[in-house]
Amino acid sequence: MTEKTIENVVAKQQPSIDPTLWGKLPESEKDEKSLSHVSLTYWQDVWRRLRGNKGALFGLIIILALILFALVGPLLTNHTYDNQNLSTSNIPPRYDIYKVGEEYLYLHKNMKLYLTKSNGEIIRVLEKDKEDMIKKQLIYTVGNGTAIIDYSTKNTLVLTDENGKVFGEHKNVSNKTNLLGTDHLGRDLLTRIMYGARVSLLVAVVAALVNFLIGMMYGGIAGFFGGKVDNIMMRIVDIISIIPLTLYVILIMVVLNSGLLSIIIALGSVYWVDMARVVRGQMLSLKEEEFVYAAKTIGTKPLKIITTHLLPNAMGAIIVTLTMLIPSAIFMEAFMSFIGLGVTAPMASWGTLCNEALESIRSFSYQLFFPAIAICITMIAFNLIGDGLRDALDPKLRK
Amino acid sequence: MTLYVVKRLVAIIITLFMIITLTFFLMHSIPGGPFTGDKNVPEAVAKALSEKYHLDDPLWKQYFDYLKSVAQFDLGPSFKYEGMTVNELIKAGLPVSAKVGLLSVALILIVGIPIGIFAALNQNKWPDTLVMLLATLGVTIPSFVIGTLLLYVFSLKLGWTPAYGVEQWQGYILPVLALSGFSLSFVSRLTRSSMIEVFQQDYMRTARGKGLRPSKIIIKHGLRNGLIPVVTIVGPLIAAMLTGSFVIEKIFALPGIGRHFVQSITNRDYTTIMGITIFYAVILVVIVFIVDLIYGLIDPRIKLNK
Repeated sequence: MTEKTIENVVAKQQPSIDPTLWGKLPESEKDEKSLSHVSLTYWQDVWRRLRGNKGALFGLIIILALILFALVGPLLTNHTYDNQNLSTSNIPPRYDIYKVGEEYLYLHKNMKLYLTKSNGEIIRVLEKDKEDMIKKQLIYTVGNGTAIIDYSTKNTLVLTDENGKVFGEHKNVSNKTNLLGTDHLGRDLLTRIMYGARVSLLVAVVAALVNFLIGMMYGGIAGFFGGKVDNIMMRIVDIISIIPLTLYVILIMVVLNSGLLSIIIALGSVYWVDMARVVRGQMLSLKEEEFVYAAKTIGTKPLKIITTHLLPNAMGAIIVTLTMLIPSAIFMEAFMSFIGLGVTAPMASWGTLCNEALESIRSFSYQLFFPAIAICITMIAFNLIGDGLRDALDPKLRK
Repeated sequence: MTLYVVKRLVAIIITLFMIITLTFFLMHSIPGGPFTGDKNVPEAVAKALSEKYHLDDPLWKQYFDYLKSVAQFDLGPSFKYEGMTVNELIKAGLPVSAKVGLLSVALILIVGIPIGIFAALNQNKWPDTLVMLLATLGVTIPSFVIGTLLLYVFSLKLGWTPAYGVEQWQGYILPVLALSGFSLSFVSRLTRSSMIEVFQQDYMRTARGKGLRPSKIIIKHGLRNGLIPVVTIVGPLIAAMLTGSFVIEKIFALPGIGRHFVQSITNRDYTTIMGITIFYAVILVVIVFIVDLIYGLIDPRIKLNK
């Protein structure tokens, strides 16, 4: 059709439009770039989708903060994870101080009296002068006055002066020396949580590596070769996966004795099973693609086909599985430590911290809360990233 | 069908055999005997103990003896609880563990599935968002954290439930809640997503078009299809609850099998560890088998005998 006829057709259909309006734009106004946007690679596309997911971004920020907390944190504190100080054990992160004369005192639940500065910083624990067993009183000399701990009422401690007048709380202060308080051996809780974060992150890294190295290769080989090889390899996986991984890890830990290395070996020896299954499934469908036939035709070795052609194409599914497995590995470590099979004392992990705190949950519940919160935040962050990545890598799965 | 059942039974026996073998050799690869840790056992006593438990026999003989006794449902004596056999330990703990476990399963089915349906019906409205937020928390927070927090709030602070033991029925509330927390959340999430998918199917539109009552549409047409994915995860859920029971029974001081297991780990009581592991394996394998059979029954599209 010539331009003339088009104009005629348009004019016939829409007589109200002045046909002179229809004309070619000058070449100078041609703007191809704004029409065809730059084509994104697969990973750029994934990143674009991930960026739009607020939850995943939030999770990512938390994990980065956690890594910073674990790696840099211990360098910034002047406490160590194993330095015990029994005189300042079980000090909570916040407490009340009393003003007696010119001195400031902190009355601890364990019937200890601490001399503090006016801002609440503990100077030292006071020695009692004498104990009145009949009146149930502990008598202290503070400066030039006296302070008496009265424990005659059950489950309550009262600080009085020599005439029995009860001191009112001066103010509620935060713990300056140990931000999150100390545990039953006087170790700094914050520092121990930092070291616990190191353990958790190490476990996460190990679980990821094990899945990458063993799980991917195992599933890749089974799926690529198929037939008998696949059958035997997958029956082994079936047998392993009938019993919950926790039981294997417990058995292996019992044999190896507890310790960080044992956790890593235990996780490493059974933790790749899910990944192997996912990768095998991907292999089975991918190996029928033309590019694999092409690679075979030019004589590429099977291992090379698996590593350079098949696995990269299955990367989406692999990463999604990985982000699901990492939090469960962290959970597994905490679980093991909680039942007494984790890292050995004095090393701290979030599970052992929770376990130790459970014994004194009645009086010193703060010792449980902080490691528990740390576990929860980490698990939620990893799960948010996992969900975000799943949506970003495979939008078809989105519900 | 019969062929399938026979095939599966053979597979089960092979699996159990492998597990027994694995645990046996794992436990016997630990250096030192079960009594080496004890403080200065006189030589004569140590010898008598070894003789009593046949520890001087060659390993292969011990292995076959053990296989034989396990086949007769005899898991042998406990090394640390004097005069107790592993069977007796399991028998003592089973009522409590089973009660907590079954109550949790009941809670999951009675509460988890309706919650999932409810959320699916209100998709993307605030009840759905709220329920899914809670469920996400339930899936991510470890059971021992949920357990200890429940214990702290309801037993120690509010004093509504006893902090340990199951002498009163209230003692079951918190352990059941803590144990089912994960699975409950998981099931309601899964029910929701599966129901949402089902609601978009053509047959649901047809059912609505026929003018059926909404309750009938949901229950007869929706649930029957929507619950199929839920049935498939029952096996893994039971496994999660078994392992969850270790910590829950520890936290709430329940005299169940899980606590014996954890205790035997701390005590290095190898026969008990072995015995309870095998016991758990049997339970799991059997449950997974039953679930597979049920799965074939409720979903006629699945051919079991292929």
